[in-house]
Amino acid sequence: MNMALYTRRKAFNRMFLVLSVLAAVFGLIWLAFILGELCWRGLEGMSSRVFTEMTPAGDADGGLLNAIVGSVMMSSVAVVAGTPIGLLAGTYLAEYGRHGRLAFVVRFVNDILLSAPSIIVGLFVYEFVVVPTHGFSGWAGTVALGVIVIPVVVRTTENMLLLVPNGLREAAAALGAPRSSVIRAVTWRAARAGIVTGVLLAIARISGETAPLLFTALNNQFWSTDMSGWMPNLPMAIFQYANSAYDNLHRLAWAGALLITATVLSLSVAARLLERKRS
Amino acid sequence: MADIALTENLAAVADRAAVVRRFGMRDAGFRWLTRLAALLVVLVFAGVIWSLVMGAMPSIKHYGWSFVTTEAWNPVTEKFGALASIYGTLVTSFLAMLIAVPVGIGIAIFLTEICPRPLRRPIGIAIELLAGIPSIIYGIWGLFVFAPEFQQTVEPWLIDLLGNVPLVRALFEGPPYGTGIFTASFILSIMVLPFISAVTRDVFETVPPMLKEAAYGLGCTTWEVMWRVVLPFTRSGVVGGAMLALGRALGETMAVTFVIGNSHHIHTSLLSPGTSISATIANEFAEAVGDLYISSLIELGLILFAITFIVLASAQLMLRTLERRSGGAS
Amino acid sequence: MDAAVKDKVKVDIRDLSFYYGATKALKNITMPLHDRQVTAFIGPSGCGKSTLLRILNRIYELYPRQRAEGEVMLDGQNILSSGTDINLLRSRVGMVFQKPTPFPMTIYDNIAFGIKLYERMPRSELDGRIEDALQRAALWSEVKDKLKDSGLSLSGGQQQRLCIARTVATKPEVILLDEPCSALDPISTAKIEELIDELSEEYTIVIVTHNMQQASRTSDYTAFMYLGELVEYGTTEKIFTAPENKRTEQYITGRFG
Repeated sequence: MNMALYTRRKAFNRMFLVLSVLAAVFGLIWLAFILGELCWRGLEGMSSRVFTEMTPAGDADGGLLNAIVGSVMMSSVAVVAGTPIGLLAGTYLAEYGRHGRLAFVVRFVNDILLSAPSIIVGLFVYEFVVVPTHGFSGWAGTVALGVIVIPVVVRTTENMLLLVPNGLREAAAALGAPRSSVIRAVTWRAARAGIVTGVLLAIARISGETAPLLFTALNNQFWSTDMSGWMPNLPMAIFQYANSAYDNLHRLAWAGALLITATVLSLSVAARLLERKRS
Repeated sequence: MADIALTENLAAVADRAAVVRRFGMRDAGFRWLTRLAALLVVLVFAGVIWSLVMGAMPSIKHYGWSFVTTEAWNPVTEKFGALASIYGTLVTSFLAMLIAVPVGIGIAIFLTEICPRPLRRPIGIAIELLAGIPSIIYGIWGLFVFAPEFQQTVEPWLIDLLGNVPLVRALFEGPPYGTGIFTASFILSIMVLPFISAVTRDVFETVPPMLKEAAYGLGCTTWEVMWRVVLPFTRSGVVGGAMLALGRALGETMAVTFVIGNSHHIHTSLLSPGTSISATIANEFAEAVGDLYISSLIELGLILFAITFIVLASAQLMLRTLERRSGGAS
Repeated sequence: MDAAVKDKVKVDIRDLSFYYGATKALKNITMPLHDRQVTAFIGPSGCGKSTLLRILNRIYELYPRQRAEGEVMLDGQNILSSGTDINLLRSRVGMVFQKPTPFPMTIYDNIAFGIKLYERMPRSELDGRIEDALQRAALWSEVKDKLKDSGLSLSGGQQQRLCIARTVATKPEVILLDEPCSALDPISTAKIEELIDELSEEYTIVIVTHNMQQASRTSDYTAFMYLGELVEYGTTEKIFTAPENKRTEQYITGRFG
């Protein structure tokens, strides 16, 4: 046995292990640092006024109420409209199309849309909604968010339906149930937890999206629930306040950032718990 | 007796036949509904391309190829060139991947091979959760925390240290701005890091345990198992995951816009301000006036979409290859 | 002549072949299935017995590239003809699978699902139908207090009886059982075998099984299949006591397969 070789291999291995531990420590420290800073500064800027007052201008005091309401409105409509489309398209891929040519194209295109830059979605909606309707609006912002929701729901729906055992489909078909009843009453139900997980992830995804709102919903400093006008929203408020010159606005930006992160994290945790319950 | 049963049966069958006719309609209707939704996805995609191409047309006609070869960006004289933006996008993404890929793979290796078992799940979950944090969070952290700190401590040090070394000098000269290409790259790398780690870890877990056990059984060290068995087996998946991350980095808007400095000039120094395609669009689009200005910004978007499309399509190709193989193996 | 042989034929399989893609999995099978009798398909793994069963309700059509040729006459009508509505066919020919397949819904809804597909009735009548189906499947006493529980909460044997109840509830004429006991313990198996015996008074039953004793205990007729061919068909008594074919004899005495 060549001990020198073995010693060298062992030394090399040790070096490699140390390097990967260092990589992990390096990465995790930065991530912990960001989260820590976010909590600290976010909590500093947090107060009951954040939830009760309108967004301020200049160095005046205020909160984020209208921005929060605007974001919730646009996100809700986007999810309510985008989910059925995503669900049906995902169902087509898993149940009808499977290996067909259309399914192949849809799958490819959907995965591109899934990770395409969200600012591109903003440009698309600008051209298709903002220009023809002659102005930025909450509806345009909603369409942009909806376009982001659809591919997320399509992907998870297809994946979850494919996990449903074929035996269940056979059993339902063997009772004389037509394909559509099999899907709606049995496979959808069997995949329900997974599909809801996908919807939660889609909500998490859009609740922090800023880029597609930049030139669709724009922003609005005042209380507005009129979706056909400029719409106040949280990400844009954060963007504008962070770029402003006033300390109080910076504090509000941090508070908003913490709010968004908390929302996204609790949605992802909920999605995860649901997924565990399923398995 | 049997005859009575038979007639009863026939009646029941006739009843059911009526129901079945209704089924046919509903079945076809539902099938078409799902098909329509699937077509809508394709339509959206086509709409994206169409809107970008149509929107960019005036600019394409007006500038031709010079759009991508010139650096000038002057809204007043309407002289637009995308070079600085394209340069910024490519360089920041490249640098971000340079940092994030090794570190991300390191974390994945740490999680699958080294980490004490009770910690694997919590750390793994933490990383997946971090992958979902919106990029604007990374952006404001970069702007308020990282950039000032970087400007005061690391940058002067870097400039002192490397500013006089030949060859690399050019990359690290100039005053410490805090914001700039390097800062943007660093923030980007932290942003895609959890994503790369999560994908790589998932990919590593597709390696059949038998394969690893066999290698360990020969007396291989952990390094040898990773390098000779796991990485070759998962190569296309790891590369695919990295490409997906690259796709994100290329198109990332909010994490970059805050910290890149927004200058339409190309400097060799990585510490000086620059811009990227997405940052330019984000900063200027809402306030852009004049058809040519808007059209130029949309052409920037078209270029970005083309670049990310190529990257994402190849990522898909590689991930599919892995999927097929691990599917076939099981 | 044997009395049973004079029974009416419910399903007549004539010159039936089946293909998976280009592979011929069944070769020119011809055999009758007698009304209100139990017919068992036996044979070693891969002999085509499950494949044959899956043609009788055309469940194979859920998958691409599978094709049947020949005739399967159900009450004189060829179910393989293109004019046959497969949903209607499947409501007449029920099937119970190897693994219990309760739907992810309550016990009540599991059974109501099949009934409501083809019939509209008031709630009270539906309740009655469900109780009746559960009684027939010998499950009623075990679940009558928890009809609103999930079907998945039952034990394996109970789940399988739930699936039988679900099939019976839709009032089929023929019931196909695809190794219904292979995933069950001996006690559940005994209950199901008893059940098959009772059900055969009203339904034409076909059972695929690996288990020789089960075939001999439960069936009136037995078909022995090997490599996609029907080797021997006859009354169970005859097949198990005086098989004509050498292979059949070897198989039932456990010398191969």
